[in-house]
Amino acid sequence: MFQYYFKLGVRSLRRNPALTALMVLTLAVGVAASVATLTILHVMSGDPIPDKSARLFVPLFDNGPTEGYKPGDEPNDNQLSYRDAVNLLNSKVGERRTAIYGVALPIEPGRKDIGAFIAQGLAPTGDFFNMVDAPFLYGQGWSPADDKAAADVVVLNRKLAEKLYGATNPVGQRMSLGGFQYQIVGVLDTWNVVPRFHRIIGNDEGAFDEEDQIFIPFSNGIRHEYQRNGSTSCTGDFAPGFQSFLDSECTWVQAWIETRSVADRAELQSFMDSYATEQRKLGRLKRAAPNKLYDVREWLDHMKVVGNDSKLSAWLAFGFLVLCLVNTIGLLLAKFSVRASEVGIRRALGASRREIFNQFLIETTVVGLVGGALGLLLAFGALALIAAQSKALTVVAHMDWVMLLTTFAMAVGSAVLAGLLPTWRACQVTPALQLKSQ
Amino acid sequence: MEIRPILSALLRNKTGPVLVAVQVALSLAILANALHIVQVRQAVSARTSGLAAEQDVFALQIRPMQRGGHEEQLAGQARQTATLRAVPGVLSVAGSSQMPLSRSGNYNSLSVDRKQVNQTTGASVYRSADSLIKTWGLQLVEGRDFLPGEIPIIDQSTSDESPKVVIITRKLGEKMWPGSTSFVGKTMYFGTGEMAREAQVVGVIEKLQTPGAQITETGEQSILLPIRATGGKTDNYTLRAEPGQLDRVIKEAEAAVRAASPTPVIVRIKTMNEFRTTRYRADNALAWMLVTVSVLLLLITSSGIVGMASLWVTQRRKQIGVRRALGARRVDILRYFITENIMITSIGVAAGVLLALALNQLLVSSLEMARLPAGYLIAGAGVFWALGVAAVYGPAWRAASISPATATRSA
Repeated sequence: MFQYYFKLGVRSLRRNPALTALMVLTLAVGVAASVATLTILHVMSGDPIPDKSARLFVPLFDNGPTEGYKPGDEPNDNQLSYRDAVNLLNSKVGERRTAIYGVALPIEPGRKDIGAFIAQGLAPTGDFFNMVDAPFLYGQGWSPADDKAAADVVVLNRKLAEKLYGATNPVGQRMSLGGFQYQIVGVLDTWNVVPRFHRIIGNDEGAFDEEDQIFIPFSNGIRHEYQRNGSTSCTGDFAPGFQSFLDSECTWVQAWIETRSVADRAELQSFMDSYATEQRKLGRLKRAAPNKLYDVREWLDHMKVVGNDSKLSAWLAFGFLVLCLVNTIGLLLAKFSVRASEVGIRRALGASRREIFNQFLIETTVVGLVGGALGLLLAFGALALIAAQSKALTVVAHMDWVMLLTTFAMAVGSAVLAGLLPTWRACQVTPALQLKSQ
Repeated sequence: MEIRPILSALLRNKTGPVLVAVQVALSLAILANALHIVQVRQAVSARTSGLAAEQDVFALQIRPMQRGGHEEQLAGQARQTATLRAVPGVLSVAGSSQMPLSRSGNYNSLSVDRKQVNQTTGASVYRSADSLIKTWGLQLVEGRDFLPGEIPIIDQSTSDESPKVVIITRKLGEKMWPGSTSFVGKTMYFGTGEMAREAQVVGVIEKLQTPGAQITETGEQSILLPIRATGGKTDNYTLRAEPGQLDRVIKEAEAAVRAASPTPVIVRIKTMNEFRTTRYRADNALAWMLVTVSVLLLLITSSGIVGMASLWVTQRRKQIGVRRALGARRVDILRYFITENIMITSIGVAAGVLLALALNQLLVSSLEMARLPAGYLIAGAGVFWALGVAAVYGPAWRAASISPATATRSA
């Protein structure tokens, strides 16, 4: 019976083309709008590193001035001072530790066809690659010895490696970077982690920026006195020169600590508290504010990675979908009401209410399927349009399988939901009354 | 008007009218809020930067691969400035540490008294050895531009000397010294405490947005600082091209800088238009999305009203025939359907106004959006009333054209 009803449903699409087209379009537009906005929300709020997100922590100390500070005020900044970052690195707390700052360095390719250009990247410690599960195409990250020696070593991303060296493995080659000769120790494979949780502050596009092109040791960036490419917040004044900048309370370093298990968080917290107490004895961290720890998800929340505009779009799109549903209910009522006589005859011939219910519900499902297919096309179009808006949106406007299935389920579900009332009304037809009026 | 019979007929068959009223209510709620947000965002992106004829201005950054000492860098800067000035079509060249709307720049805390505990406010600092007032066409409302003798030459890698005079925006002056109308001659401090550096206001400009162009009052709190500095990795300039010559001037300026430099350089150029587009991209994208949804919303709602009204007309063909046979004129039938629709729409609009306020309350409390002015509700109500009448007119006219003879047929 299902097949037969399905066939009937497909046929009835043609019976009233204008009404059907309107219904399908309404459904498709509603579904497309909500799927497009939901996809963006889904990608933005995804967990970038599911198996580790509860074991990776951002430590924060509030080193702002006490002047004008009231307990409970927001911390001075969301990054660390160089001093705190280096102390954490040296502390051996947790399983792995890294400190990161952004660099933008000129590359001289030494080739006629490519002129000098500036590459953007990060200066982390060697542990960084393992901590964030960065995939290597060739070679590997640098060793702790390289960190210690502040060695001139560099890891490239795949795109940059292919631009400079084609498809060959460049590991071991030397390149001119920032005016110095660096040895290439590794090449990262394509690494589109979204959101780009490991460094949100200081990017043009926040958590949805493009891949970093180069990675050099943190200590190496400091040794060459490379300027930071990112955000720096200073409250006090300091003398000119790089060393006095490092000694200042300016905050500009992003730190991460990985623990062996989720349970080690308490231990990490108590380490931070005792560290802060010790620093207070040295006359620092005078605010005595609580020392904060954020795991990956808490950090994304804290940095408001999912913007209010995205949430607003999703909400409005859902309101729009509800409106489309109400409209579809009306149109289905109209469509079914002219078929009262047909129902009357079927009922008189012995069909139960249940049969009628099934038939009409399957018919609305057909409308839902067609609407879903069209909605999917429209959603792809809408996403392409959204992606064209900016770099950041290109990163997030991608549909995955989850969203694809959601779209379909949503379209069919909406159609069935919208069809319930009209179908129920169709079942209420009294056969005798219909037959009499014929 | 025969409201009572219409009302009792409506109450007999509630589903259709309820659906239409719900549609109107939902549409009105979404439309009023969406259009309000669009208007707010448009107002944000329509703000002027303070630069005259902004479309002719661009930024040019030069990053040499090798950096010499202090003297060498000064000579390089003089050579670059001369090279750029010589490019045909360049009206004016100035150094500039940052650009308005560029989203990347320097902010400083300020105070009016060294001894105060908290900063008075913050401002963004534009550093230049040339006249930004001239190159950018800023409007000087009080005082004067910097004199040549007021521009210190500073090697930033060894010295923390700072200029003694500043030019501020009017908004910054009003924030620093509330109640005053004249700011020239006043003293301000960068930061607070012993170390805070003192500077005197010599001029006031009407407007200059910060690189962030924030939507709060800080978006217009800017300072011009006269300084010829070395020790940075890059040299930053801003140029004004002759009207309509921008594209050509950009190409020639880049080529000239490359040709004049003894060592390889990396040149980056961005126009004010590009900065503006990038700064307001998110606002414009959201506005477009909301406008699209609003248009679709109106289309769907009106198609819904037309559909339901057509259905009612079809269902009541016989009754209409009877009424016509009993002496009702066409205009009576027309009036019946339009009155009926106005009643339904009115209920929808009333519910819509409440729903719009509720939705706005939600947006204000959880998404930090602005409160909805009453004008949008009134306009929205008007639009949906008109839409309701317009949408029902067609079906109602068809109803009115039903012949009285229909009454005598059996179908």
